[in-house]
Amino acid sequence: MALDCDAELMLRVKDGDGASFALLLEKYRASVIHFLYRMVQDQPVSEELAQEVFLRVYRSRETYEPTAKFTTWLFRIATHLALNWLRDGKSERGQERLDETVEDAPSREVADRTPSVEHQMVQQVKLEEVRRAVAALPAKQRAAVLMHKYEEMEYSQIAKVLSCSESAVKSLLFRAYETLRVRLAHMA
Amino acid sequence: MNCPIKTEENKEWLLDYAAGRLDGERAVAVKRHVEACHECARFVDAQQVVWNALSQWEPQAVSDDFDRRLYRAIEARPVSWVDRVLGPLQPLLRPVVPLAAACLLIVAGVMLHTPQVAVNPGDSQARVEKIEPEQVERTLDDIEMLRELALQPAQEEKASKPL
Repeated sequence: MALDCDAELMLRVKDGDGASFALLLEKYRASVIHFLYRMVQDQPVSEELAQEVFLRVYRSRETYEPTAKFTTWLFRIATHLALNWLRDGKSERGQERLDETVEDAPSREVADRTPSVEHQMVQQVKLEEVRRAVAALPAKQRAAVLMHKYEEMEYSQIAKVLSCSESAVKSLLFRAYETLRVRLAHMA
Repeated sequence: MNCPIKTEENKEWLLDYAAGRLDGERAVAVKRHVEACHECARFVDAQQVVWNALSQWEPQAVSDDFDRRLYRAIEARPVSWVDRVLGPLQPLLRPVVPLAAACLLIVAGVMLHTPQVAVNPGDSQARVEKIEPEQVERTLDDIEMLRELALQPAQEEKASKPL
């Protein structure tokens, strides 16, 4: 099996090359944090979980075997941590945050550089609706959608991350998108 | 091509088409079908709404000190000696763990199902009360007899020794 370049970097980390770990961190820091943020919808928690992900990657360097793509392994760790966090009911605080008023939500950059107040508010409301719709999905469906949409993963890779069959992933995605189509239909 | 919605075949092509991720001949085939199939066209339109809505969700920026915190955690939590010793053996130990767990379960099961003699304090008391004085006397006689038997060989040995 031909090794992907990330797996090669990880094998160098296994050999004690700290610079290769720094490269992997640089490459995947944002995507792991963003994935976790969209899963748990809490910025400090997503960074804490991401710290744990990279810590586990580093700690497992000696036993690392490139049996799958590096990103599959990486996102399997991230998904596992996020699902555990959600399962343990630690998301209650996050849900409270979702219930906060739109004005309380942190400001985000929008495409228009000089947006009117009205436009900004409309954007915030839309964003809030998207967040709520995603948060309402069952955790596994949510993970599948996030990997499909934002990480642009193939169905086969999502299946490996979630340890299920490809057809199960397609089924998860169809159910999730069906829910989202209903909830976000008015955004057309 | 067959209608993905009606036949439930390759439904994911519609998702990929709506996301603009379908290439080549497949994309052309789906496009042609969607243009002709009202149901699939509606599905693709609705899916594109979801796709665009999700695209608006930009995550927040990562904290500047993320790496510093990570490296500090790496240094602060050195690998325990157990991990150091067992780490390289993990692939070998992995199949042993369920086996050991199964053995433990069997041992626990056997211990739980072994009939145990119930100690009833009332029984022992009753037995003590049943001991008759004759029985005690007989036991004392037996002890005396055993002592004499033990002394006899020693006396015989002493008598047989030359002066």
